Amino acid sequence: MRIELEVWRQDGPRERGRFEAHVVDDATPEMSLLELLDRLNDQLVEGGQEPIQFESDCREGACGACGVTVNDVPHGPVPRTPSCRQHLRSFGAVTRLRIEPLRSAAFPVVRDLVVDRTALDRLIRAGGHVDVMTGTAPDADAVLVTHDDAEVALDFAACIGCGACVAACPNGAAHLFAGAKLAHLALVPHGRLERGRRAVAVVDALEAEFGPCSTYGECVEVCPAGIPLTAVAAVHRERLRSVFRGRAD
Amino acid sequence: MVQDMTALREGQRTRATAPFPSTFALKLVMAVTGVIFIAFVFVHMIGNLKVYGGPASLDSYAQWLREVGYPLIPHKGVLWALRVTLLVSLVAHVGASVILWARGRRARGRFRRRRSSGVTAWAARTMLLGGVLILGFLVIHLLDLTIGRAVAPGAYQPADADGTIHAYTNLVASFSRPWMAAVYVVWMLVIAVHIWHGWRTMAQDLGATGHRLRAVWATLGALIALAIVLGNALIPILVQLGVIA
Ligand code: HEM
Ligand code: SF4
Ligand code: FES
Repeated sequence: MRIELEVWRQDGPRERGRFEAHVVDDATPEMSLLELLDRLNDQLVEGGQEPIQFESDCREGACGACGVTVNDVPHGPVPRTPSCRQHLRSFGAVTRLRIEPLRSAAFPVVRDLVVDRTALDRLIRAGGHVDVMTGTAPDADAVLVTHDDAEVALDFAACIGCGACVAACPNGAAHLFAGAKLAHLALVPHGRLERGRRAVAVVDALEAEFGPCSTYGECVEVCPAGIPLTAVAAVHRERLRSVFRGRAD
Repeated sequence: MVQDMTALREGQRTRATAPFPSTFALKLVMAVTGVIFIAFVFVHMIGNLKVYGGPASLDSYAQWLREVGYPLIPHKGVLWALRVTLLVSLVAHVGASVILWARGRRARGRFRRRRSSGVTAWAARTMLLGGVLILGFLVIHLLDLTIGRAVAPGAYQPADADGTIHAYTNLVASFSRPWMAAVYVVWMLVIAVHIWHGWRTMAQDLGATGHRLRAVWATLGALIALAIVLGNALIPILVQLGVIA
């Protein structure tokens, strides 16, 4: 099949970007979006041109490294699916693809389709973690978690940190990402003593680099981990809880 | 390129630290003032239902509002307390919404998606414009039925010297004009969308995470928005139909 592409090219963080038109004539329905870009890059290299830079790692929806905007939708036309799992066979009649980086002020373009998402890392570094004793492995049942709590915690822990929620948001908010982390950590016993401090640190980091949440709900439409809007409420619940307790835990 | 990358890595942050006042605090201001407005609009709607009891019923209610609590509280004391609370809330609500809007624009950056995902996103987009419209309608409404100037009906009757109020006569005179009846109906639709989405956002801002709570909350919000539209918008429509005269 023939796919017509408009791809964002940008030589560096401070350069001006532009769209470049390309055609891939021998695309197949089983190709993923990234394999289509691979094919295009083969073509470009054969023609002596610079290949298009984009990020990927696992290519099975587990790592969160991939992420491009396709026809105005972060990750691509298939809802709640990472770019690496978007296959041409699912695109229906769409054969013209406009591919650009994930767009947000917090994600400066590094080159072509690669953006710098370390703003998300800074948020995790600020508070998205627990303190644990190192040393020999603890007994399996030393710290008890109920099955229900573990299930819900794992649902929120499913966030792969791709940043699509931020790019989807008209406010450039990262509440879905931050809330997934806070909701997850609030449910497990590890790090319980720093629950309040964590909420303050995460919300401060969130507000330093991202926008406010006005409940557009665009984030959940693109989230490959299926994180629900409840995560946003979890941000405020955890932060409010820390106000009422006024302590570190 | 290497220098550029270093610049990127050295925390090229949108802002160095969390902004003041914090977005979290501003959202709480939105939520608390939002509750106050919804309570007010709801109670106001209940009061408006007195119109179905005829002139004496509505006029004596208007009178009562001015005298409630007397002699413990001076004349119009409760009324003015309400007015001051609402005015302070309005300044806070509008002020916070403008700051939040500006922060959202800055965080989104240069590129704006044209595509959006559905009715929730649509409602969210209408919030600022809806708010501005509500303010505009509010000015019309106060001029029309409270102050009695400019857009007020020609037959507007101010309160008599002895304090008798002609709320019913003025209301019917105003709503008999088709364009004014239409203005009020549109106003109620705008308020309904604003409350519908505002209610949902409030649950988020106040940290409601429980499944059952969220389900009950959503139903309650829809009912309140519906009650406010029906209770209020039916009045100008019934005046136009000649049922209320
Ligand atoms: C009848 C009057 C009004 C009612 C009942 C009302 C109610 C609400 C409620 C409940 C919210 C959600 C608060 C939250 O974020 O938790 C809200 C949000 C909002 N209101 Fe109002 N409001 C009214 C008037 C106005 C006015 C006059 C403006 C003027 C600009 C305005 C602008 C906004 C905006 C922009 C938001 C969205 C804030 C955000 O989520 O980022 N509202 N309103
Ligand atoms: S919440 Fe979803 S969209 Fe956002 S970073 Fe995590 S996986 Fe990606
Ligand atoms: S490459 Fe790992 S999630 Fe797409």
